[in-house]
Amino acid sequence: MSQPWARAAAAGADRERIAATPHSFGVDVWLRFAKKPTALAGLIAVLLLLACALIGPSLSPYSYDKQTLSLAGVPPVFTAVVAPEAGRYFYITPNQKIIEVDDQGRLLRQLPMAQDLFMEKRVSYRCGPQDEGLVYLDYSAAKPALLDEAGNPLAATRVLWNRTYLLGTDHLGRDILTRLMYGAQISLMVAFIAAAVNMVIGTLYGGIAGYLGGRVDAIMMRVVDIISTIPLTLYVILIKVCLAGGLVGIIVALSSVYWVDMARVVRGQVLSLKQQEFVLAARTIGSGTRRILLTHLIPNAMGSILVTATMLIPSAIFMEAFMSFIGIGIAPPMASLGTMCNDATEALRSSPYQLFLPALIICLIMFAFNFVGDGLRDSLDPQLKR
Amino acid sequence: MSETPLLQIENLTQHFPVRGRGHKVVHAVDGVSFAIGRGRTLGLVGESGCGKSTCARSIIRIYEPTSGHVRLDGQDITRLSQKQLLPLRRKMQMIFQDPYASLNGRMTVRALIGEPLRAHGAAESRRDEEDRILRMLEKVGLTREHAGRYPHEFSGGQRQRVGIARALILRPELVICDEPISALDVSIQAQIVNMLRDFQQELGLSYLFIAHDLSMVRYISDEVGVMYMGQLVEHSPAEDIYAHPLHPYTQGLLASIPVPDPSLARLQDEEGLSGDLPSPIDPPPGCRFHTRCPHATGCCREEAPALRNVGGGHAVACHLV
Ligand SMILES: Nc1ncnc2c1ncn2[C@@H]1O[C@H](COP(=O)(O)OP(=O)(O)OP(=O)(O)O)[C@@H](O)[C@H]1O
Ligand SMILES: [Mg+2]
Repeated sequence: MSQPWARAAAAGADRERIAATPHSFGVDVWLRFAKKPTALAGLIAVLLLLACALIGPSLSPYSYDKQTLSLAGVPPVFTAVVAPEAGRYFYITPNQKIIEVDDQGRLLRQLPMAQDLFMEKRVSYRCGPQDEGLVYLDYSAAKPALLDEAGNPLAATRVLWNRTYLLGTDHLGRDILTRLMYGAQISLMVAFIAAAVNMVIGTLYGGIAGYLGGRVDAIMMRVVDIISTIPLTLYVILIKVCLAGGLVGIIVALSSVYWVDMARVVRGQVLSLKQQEFVLAARTIGSGTRRILLTHLIPNAMGSILVTATMLIPSAIFMEAFMSFIGIGIAPPMASLGTMCNDATEALRSSPYQLFLPALIICLIMFAFNFVGDGLRDSLDPQLKR
Repeated sequence: MSETPLLQIENLTQHFPVRGRGHKVVHAVDGVSFAIGRGRTLGLVGESGCGKSTCARSIIRIYEPTSGHVRLDGQDITRLSQKQLLPLRRKMQMIFQDPYASLNGRMTVRALIGEPLRAHGAAESRRDEEDRILRMLEKVGLTREHAGRYPHEFSGGQRQRVGIARALILRPELVICDEPISALDVSIQAQIVNMLRDFQQELGLSYLFIAHDLSMVRYISDEVGVMYMGQLVEHSPAEDIYAHPLHPYTQGLLASIPVPDPSLARLQDEEGLSGDLPSPIDPPPGCRFHTRCPHATGCCREEAPALRNVGGGHAVACHLV
């Protein structure tokens, strides 16, 4: 008589065991994240950028602020004139200096000037291993031309990659690659610190407003409304102008503004979470406000917090670049991507690569973080997917 | 009945303001009174929306009761601040309806069960805490290997065991079970109810056991209360209510229980419940059940019946009894 009953009970226990799933939450999120190509590409790009920014400058033979004026303004790829001497080429820089290049594309030296024949609109330069030869730079035409010792034009040209400075030099002869890596490091550092500070302020502010609710919430959120009606750009500029310049000023300016979005997001999450049974359970248990906020509400809102923070990084980077570009950001000799863009505008016509390269990196960083943020949002909360 | 009951509620009323409807309120609980003695179980039943959960939550002070009194062990806790209430919370714990929503998915089982110990500083040391958590886990039929796992790795029945372990680890005197088995598979419901009964015998617990149909509370209750639209309409010793249901609503509830053996279907010819629940914002005047009652008379539409004792501890709120 007891036999069939015993079997039924065992079956019940079995079904409970089968229903248990082996993955932890983190593994689940990762699996969903990795399924999204854009998210994965974004993550790889972010990691590469971080690696370059953090260890790149120390691997580079150049420092970000060392000026080599004699080799200024050489792009990464250039068209050089074939010199009379075998295996030698000349590159005419935008400010009409002549740089000797070997056949590998290594920059050897700037040719010393011999004589300025201004009546003939020519300048002569010494060349050759012992400075025994001469070349003339003829600037009578719109496009300067090189003439050999006899006065015949050197017509043959060759496109060469710059092997000494892989991404060229800027108008002060600093290595652009090193400066890019260093600038990205500063930009990312500013963005990460700003995002972290915003995350802490916004999470606590929004969490407290949402959990306490009622009048406290109303007052706290009106403050947020007021802050966010002021155009943030204007606000950041004002803060920045009032504060001491440099890195600290910009971090303070960015940190004190962008938390309003975070506060809104967290408040919304907390408002819906606090009605859930596990929060009610914590209250019936007797857990205090602090414990409920820190162990129940915020960890459960962590998904949206992370997504918002990830999305905040590109806007902080953009804001920092913008401020540096208009000249109220990072002070030289420190470089950020924005100050590099700013420096490049002076020589924009003759050397567009100096603007293009930092702008490209800014775009890359923004794209990468946006993709990661999107991927995170979708994988943390599959129901949110549109 | 000279001894003070463990829990005594008097005229408990809970109204919720309705947004954008002037001064109208939802009459979720309206003047409910009952008492639960030590080691005893009151089963509270009623349709969905009749205010069972609200009643439970007002007792345990998730909501601030609009009026009325809740006495725990003779002490009136209705107007205590949350801070004053904190030490009393050890005596009174709750098990929730939804085993998925009532456990924080970001905490391990160890942290979940340990939370009451930490909130009350009840464990003497980390060793003691760990010991008590593991012992509790084994008592509810889980193993120590489960301690490091997260709730989503468990089935509904196992999660509800975690919820029970959490409610019992402080050794409370009163446990409010808000439909603890409604969300579970039928095969697991019996296991959970049996476990709750075992705990009652072992620890001398009192239960307020909420369910939405009478069949679920039959095996565990000493007394049964039937709620309709925020009011208690019938209250009696358990066997009595199944043998002689007096209120037409109770009779309707009993008729709606499916009976496995047709020869036992003594209530089959009686009518089940029909009609919709009226709005709890504007409850019908007089007896709230008159809109659905097959026997309603003029008197029922005008005058609200009081809960009257009809002998043998059986009380009913109906003009026709
Ligand atoms: N926080 C609240 N604010 C406003 N109205 C509420 C609130 N909680 C419950 N109510 C209302 O009170 C009434 C009773 O709800 P309650 O959850 O107590 O019912 P219940 O008997 O537990 O139902 P179920 O069996 O579905 O759990 C319902 O009409 C509900 O809409
Ligand atoms: Mg309920």
